[in-house]
Amino acid sequence: MKYHLKSLLYLFALCLPIVASAQDSLENALQMPVEKKNVKATFKATKLINIQTNETIYKNEMDFRVDHRFGDIAGSGGGIKNFFGLDQSTDIRIGFEYGISDKLSVGLARAKGAGIVTQLYEGNLKYRLLEQTDDEKVPVAVTLFGSTTIAAVKASTDPTAVNAYSKFQDRLTYVVQAVIARKFNSNFSMLVMPSYIHRNFTVFGDQNDMLALSVGGRIKITKRMAFVADYTIPFRDKDKKAYLENTLGTQYYKTLGAGLEFETGGHIFHLNFTNATAIQESQFITDTNTSWLKGQYRWGFSIARRFSFDKKKAK
Amino acid sequence: MQKLLFTLIALLLCTGIKAQIWVSKNVTSSFFSSTPVEDIDALSKTGASALNVKTNDIIFKINNTSFQFKKKLMQEHFNENYIESDKYPTSDFKGKIIEQIDFSKPGTYPITIKGNLQIHGVTKEYQVKGSLVITADEVKATSAFNVKLADHAIKIPTIVFKQIAETIQVKMTATYQPKK
Repeated sequence: MKYHLKSLLYLFALCLPIVASAQDSLENALQMPVEKKNVKATFKATKLINIQTNETIYKNEMDFRVDHRFGDIAGSGGGIKNFFGLDQSTDIRIGFEYGISDKLSVGLARAKGAGIVTQLYEGNLKYRLLEQTDDEKVPVAVTLFGSTTIAAVKASTDPTAVNAYSKFQDRLTYVVQAVIARKFNSNFSMLVMPSYIHRNFTVFGDQNDMLALSVGGRIKITKRMAFVADYTIPFRDKDKKAYLENTLGTQYYKTLGAGLEFETGGHIFHLNFTNATAIQESQFITDTNTSWLKGQYRWGFSIARRFSFDKKKAK
Repeated sequence: MQKLLFTLIALLLCTGIKAQIWVSKNVTSSFFSSTPVEDIDALSKTGASALNVKTNDIIFKINNTSFQFKKKLMQEHFNENYIESDKYPTSDFKGKIIEQIDFSKPGTYPITIKGNLQIHGVTKEYQVKGSLVITADEVKATSAFNVKLADHAIKIPTIVFKQIAETIQVKMTATYQPKK
């Protein structure tokens, strides 16, 4: 009897862990894959209002984008006489971007250009250097943007003018930017972006190289509508700034844009207000002479449409 | 000798209990939306499933971000706007095979599965048809059924109404092996 009891105990002990595992719920038996994922859709569009975001388009996609800026809403140049700016357009830009890969895109654009330097042709490259990951091992995304702009405007004979070009190289402006972005949650993303701009030719007394710093953000209001804003501070030499403001009779301002973003699946619309008259980085950072406080802000809108040329089957 | 026999029987008994849960970790699920304007299909190959061959209980779980679309922008929209993967990372099903199946007998069996399907945080009861193919060392289950987007509170805005079907066709395949 004693022997049997011992055997029973033995049997019980042997089966105990296995019986326990069999009683575990089916859910515990599930073997879910552990996926390391990158954070997607930090922003919805490749641009906020004035500045770039970290977003690029996917491989074999094309982004067609139209930007428009109207005239001053208020102030001395605005009001009812020009229908709150709607009679004018300070800048218009039509651009195409194409995804070489999910990380690299190339773009071509034509912009009217604000002020004297007009007829702008831009070529650009945008590259996703780093992507934010879900597991927080990489807390930010970094995207590089570079562009070259050619101004085709007729050269001025006034040697102090901004467009007193003597050779082709004078017409070129280069922009290099690094967008550092973070999606804090599904409703809120922010970015910080240092810029370096080199103008081969400037108005007499201005600097060729300039640094700038931008901040921008996006807050979702509904699933398809978001508030977007950006702010850019250009760093111009103090003496040069004073000299230019004195001789040209204008002032240089930081740019602030704020607006609404609507996403409809394929299309993205922006409706915004900004004090910048120009659209392209090559101009609005260095040459914004209009101020919010003087009523020199304007309506702007953009329409972006993405086309996919990728017909291959999902893998 | 008697002791050894006893132990052996006990061991066999225990292994028998253990193998009553069968698992699959490469559940293939695809869905298809068809309208005159656009066909959309997506495929996930990394779903998980477990099957209790004694009680006929069956469960599935799929990471919503594992669905691959041929258009990446669609995939982004799927996760951001429709399925809302941030809020609802997985879709799952918990149910039972209604028919009595002898899992030790190889063959093909038509089955009916009844249970609750959770998509987009909304659970609805489904009864779907499928089939089981039992071989010596594995069990293969397949099923195809329709999901109405409105049943799971997935809203299609008017502007893309013509691109996305109201009812989505879902196909699932899972191959089970005894849990080790």
